[in-house]
Amino acid sequence: MSSDVRTAPDGIVASPAHADPLDLGVPPSAAAAARRAVGAPPSEDSQLAVDIRGLVERGKMDEARERFGELVALHQRRAARIAYQYLREASEADEAVQDAFVKVFSHITSYREAWPFEVWFTRILINGCLDRRKARSRRDRWFVDGEATSADEARASATGPATDPEHRLLARERRARIAAAIDRLDGRQRTVFMLCHYGDCTPREVSIMTGLNESTVRVHLFRAARNLRGLLGGKP
Amino acid sequence: MIHRAHHLQDERLFDSYMAERKGEPVDPPIVEHLADCESCGARYAELTAFMDTLRHAGDAEADSIFTVDRLRVQRQQIARRIEHAARPARVISFPGRLVRRTINASTARTAPRWSAAATAAALFLGAAMGASYQWGARRGQRLIVPDTSTARVARMTSIAPRGTDPADVAADDAFLSDLEIALERPHTLELQAFDALTPHIREIRDQR
Repeated sequence: MSSDVRTAPDGIVASPAHADPLDLGVPPSAAAAARRAVGAPPSEDSQLAVDIRGLVERGKMDEARERFGELVALHQRRAARIAYQYLREASEADEAVQDAFVKVFSHITSYREAWPFEVWFTRILINGCLDRRKARSRRDRWFVDGEATSADEARASATGPATDPEHRLLARERRARIAAAIDRLDGRQRTVFMLCHYGDCTPREVSIMTGLNESTVRVHLFRAARNLRGLLGGKP
Repeated sequence: MIHRAHHLQDERLFDSYMAERKGEPVDPPIVEHLADCESCGARYAELTAFMDTLRHAGDAEADSIFTVDRLRVQRQQIARRIEHAARPARVISFPGRLVRRTINASTARTAPRWSAAATAAALFLGAAMGASYQWGARRGQRLIVPDTSTARVARMTSIAPRGTDPADVAADDAFLSDLEIALERPHTLELQAFDALTPHIREIRDQR
């Protein structure tokens, strides 16, 4: 599988001892400590994941699939936001989200309740997105750029809440500027910023996902925000 | 209490923003300082506005693309994909007939020989029939039309008289004009009344 435990520049820790892409690369004792730190009672989605794992282990696949639909519904929108911010292309983000959910279901037996499901799932999603970004950068070496405005941008501006064409245009330009600024961030800063800002993760959760120290996550997050303010001239 | 002469560092402001956003408690001395210090309060407000705008712009963009319908379709696709996730793969033997035939070695050996012989025979028969037909046609032509130049003249004379006869030309003209009138006339019954009331271009031209 290509989405293995990840390279340092993007913030996802590479660990040869934990080649499994779905393993968070931290010993269970540390995981339990993190669970206690993150919050003692398992969240709704984590409990659901444990239930699905039990159903799969007992061979009740139809029921497991049905319950998995609930899990998908819980995380789908957030996953779409993260994937879109990473990839900036709707179809690719769509595929990345689908792949992440399919991978989660295929490997649900390796899920350990020591970790919040959200953290486990987000890590799989991010790894998938990073793989796609890498593949795209390899592909782009051989192709010239297309039109500046993609179909997704056009669709986004057409279906946006602002009906006034001028507002739509301004909103579109602003989004393009923000996206360009985020894209210029350092790999780790970008990952940490996206996870915290668009993925609704706390620095502690990002620390578990990435293997970075929590204070390091905070530093990256602060630097990312400062750089963005600099790049955007203080106004998004 | 933080002394008013000192201002909060950006890092502290950012941490406070993150804590507030996550619903975590913010350090009481910082809250107190922000309430007292106008400058730090303004900086905090500016930071909050900046970060919130960033966040809302990103979320709004993604949400406008991933609409409720699109997310529903995505859920259906995920459900379809996981339908076969934990099932063992089906092994399809291809091609089934050949696989069965190779079990019996003698049959496998005779079948191609027989088919090759049949193909050769069919080819020979086809070639022979084609040759005999061509030979027969050539012989027949020779018997019916002994002189090709005479035949060519006969063909030309059979076409030519049609254009020279004045009666035929008049009949052709009449037929073509009838056809033209029929095409110009409206085909719908409801429009025929309007057509009768409206002067025809041919009539106007004739009047002039």
